[in-house]
Amino acid sequence: MATQAPAQPASSGGAISWASRNARLLAPLLTLLVMVIFFSLTTDVFLTVPNLQNVVTQIAPIAVAATGITFVLLCAEIDLSIASVSTLTGVLAAWFFVGDTVALGNWGIPAALIVAALCGLINGFLSAYIGIPSFMATLAMLTIARGMSVYVSGGKPIFEVPPFLKAIGSVGNQVFGIPVIGLVALGVLLIGEFVLSYTKFGRYVYMTGANREAAEMSGVNTRQIVMMSLVISALTAGLTGLLFIGRLSSANPSAGEDILISTIAAVVLGGTSLFGGEGGIRNTILGLLIFGVLSNGLNLLPNIPITFKQALQGIVLLAALLLNVFALRLERVNTKRE
Amino acid sequence: MSSSDLLAGGVAAAPADVSAQPVLQLEHVTKRFGGATALNDVSFDLLPGEIHGLVGENGAGKSTLMKILSGVHSPDEGEIILGGESVTFASPKDAKAHGVGMIYQELSCMQQLSIAENVFLGRHLTGPGGVIAWGRMQQEAREHLAELGLNVDVTAQLGTLSLGNQQLGEIARTVFSGAHIVVLDEPTSALSGPEAEKLFEAMANLKTRGRSLIFISHFLEDVLAVSDRVTVLKNSRKVATLPREGLTKHRLIELMIGRDADQLAESYEEGIQLPPRSDAATVLDIDSISSTGAYEDVTFSVKAGEIVGIFGNLGAGMTEVARTLFGQTVAEQGRIALDGAPVAPRTTSQAKKLGIAYLSENRRKTLFPRHEIFKNISLAHLDTLLGPIVQQKREIEIADDLVKRTGTRPANPLLKAGNLSGGNQQKVVLAKWLTKTPKVLILNEPTRGMDVGAKREVLDLVKTLKNEGVAILLLSTEPETVMAESDRVLVMSRGRITREFAGERVSKDLLMEWA
Repeated sequence: MATQAPAQPASSGGAISWASRNARLLAPLLTLLVMVIFFSLTTDVFLTVPNLQNVVTQIAPIAVAATGITFVLLCAEIDLSIASVSTLTGVLAAWFFVGDTVALGNWGIPAALIVAALCGLINGFLSAYIGIPSFMATLAMLTIARGMSVYVSGGKPIFEVPPFLKAIGSVGNQVFGIPVIGLVALGVLLIGEFVLSYTKFGRYVYMTGANREAAEMSGVNTRQIVMMSLVISALTAGLTGLLFIGRLSSANPSAGEDILISTIAAVVLGGTSLFGGEGGIRNTILGLLIFGVLSNGLNLLPNIPITFKQALQGIVLLAALLLNVFALRLERVNTKRE
Repeated sequence: MSSSDLLAGGVAAAPADVSAQPVLQLEHVTKRFGGATALNDVSFDLLPGEIHGLVGENGAGKSTLMKILSGVHSPDEGEIILGGESVTFASPKDAKAHGVGMIYQELSCMQQLSIAENVFLGRHLTGPGGVIAWGRMQQEAREHLAELGLNVDVTAQLGTLSLGNQQLGEIARTVFSGAHIVVLDEPTSALSGPEAEKLFEAMANLKTRGRSLIFISHFLEDVLAVSDRVTVLKNSRKVATLPREGLTKHRLIELMIGRDADQLAESYEEGIQLPPRSDAATVLDIDSISSTGAYEDVTFSVKAGEIVGIFGNLGAGMTEVARTLFGQTVAEQGRIALDGAPVAPRTTSQAKKLGIAYLSENRRKTLFPRHEIFKNISLAHLDTLLGPIVQQKREIEIADDLVKRTGTRPANPLLKAGNLSGGNQQKVVLAKWLTKTPKVLILNEPTRGMDVGAKREVLDLVKTLKNEGVAILLLSTEPETVMAESDRVLVMSRGRITREFAGERVSKDLLMEWA
């Protein structure tokens, strides 16, 4: 994905061939443009600064978890535990802060993140070294983490969270008109992009997902790569949990389960393959924007019954996915012809 | 070493009736693929109750003949006569319906299902209302298998049986689904001695029941142990069909290699003189390593700037030794030393760091077809080439240099690797290990399936590396490839090294005799 364009030979030129080669980015970009134009024309509110700030605030926590799960999907694995790990991290940070049992104050934040990383380490060890498919290992972790947040909090929301997190999460807290929470998410995404496109580890992630056996035969420690990806995914999920409790000013052990579907949907909408090796953070950013604009825009549309909204959102997402599939088919045919 | 000593005369006691009407005849069959003739005017007949051996080198036409018999290909000229009537097979299914069954090298049975279910695969016995009649199926399966000398619990999962017994299960299925003619492709290559014997007994058993078998194999002793007659193919033509009596392994090899003067250079028929033993420092030293079911008591060494070739048939254990050296499996016994220091790599990444490079025989396992050539090339040594940060410009420069050095065409590192031809893909995979000169380079079938030009280019590259002092291990099932550049040649057979050739003449027939 990170191939630099200038070195492309002129022989394979032509706009159509260029487009088909970049179909994986262009298809979601097209979807996004169509949606932005549609909502700008049909609603008065969509294209206003406060609403766009709203979109950013809404997708920012998901964007952080999406960065991590992009690594996992590129490895051709899955992490179903992100939502539960996210909730557990938030609950733990608040619980440590309140300190009825273990008082860590603000140190509860790194402590909670360490727990998140541990969850990822267990996921990674089980799937990479023991051989339990990541689908099953992370499904078990989903239940464990969810259970632990209920157990620790006694099943009740904690209404006291570190002020530091509140400051980051508050919508009013902005730099040059951009909510701070959005900047945090952007920072995480950029780090992810840097690691995936410009480091050895990132390349190993792509190659492990593209052909695990061939990566192994090139002397890549693919087990380690898979485990590290699951650790990264759990860590970013933990960060998402912290951003959530900051935004909501409370930690609720029974909230946040929808993060899983939103995150994976956003990443796949962006064009990252569920089968590994192809896609990346640029795709994830596009997918997040599509997802954010769609959920925000549908809320603004008049004449649509609120009860029908969720179904409609699903239908539009399906259409976007179909567009991706057709675009990639075009890409494949054209690459063969070259 | 061979099972022929044990079995000669014993099993194949009753020779087939040569005067009988053949059950199957191929009459002047020719098959072409594009410009190449894969089978040229071949006639062949199979008698009732006969085991007919089919031998020939790689590319002699064995597999084409087999594919014509099984309905995968149809002949361009000539005809197939089955039970006196001319037939054409539209598909493998059609051939099966005509009673021709195939047992491929890679078994097609279902590991998770019970043995009884496997025997009845696709045609479960049912009772009233379509309910599966388990009891009757198990009963019949038990009887069928006992006829082949296999007395097992038919309710057990097939995967719990040894490979040899699984094969018997598959033969049972083929025969009891109505095959009168059974074609066995390299059935003994993965079997141990006793397992092979059991198979031969089962084959003899089928023979006495009037079934006819075609036995294709590289293992000439095995062919001689059970066959009534043997047909030899060479260069797409039939050389001869001979009765087993009086036939020796040596005679078969002579027939397989032939004596055409014009083929001399290409086939190394007269053999080559190996150079005297090198006195360079030993780089790789392997001391009696063993791994159950894979190889046993393997000892050899490779010196700096030396190419050691290992020849063996499929399943001889060469790939398993290579996998151990590359950290994919661990030897249960014995020692491996690199530059005098003992090593035991447990991952491929450790092996790579030790300076061991491995080119696998399976290109599907080595190539990233949907990624650019430069990413394919840089992967093995990303860190040493570029450090932790990947500078793509530098990466492409390095790859550009290597595609030129290896003669990869088209020489554009930005193309996707999957768009290259097979030979050029192999050059890319080899280039991967040239970004940093390894201490030991293991090449497994480096030139398989390549045309003569590409073969030469790859071998020249290997020679360049040898001159740089790399210790090279070259494994192949093709004698020509092993003989082409090797300084010393080892032969492996059934997991053991049977012979070392050093400083002497070595020829194709010698290699094949020891394999």
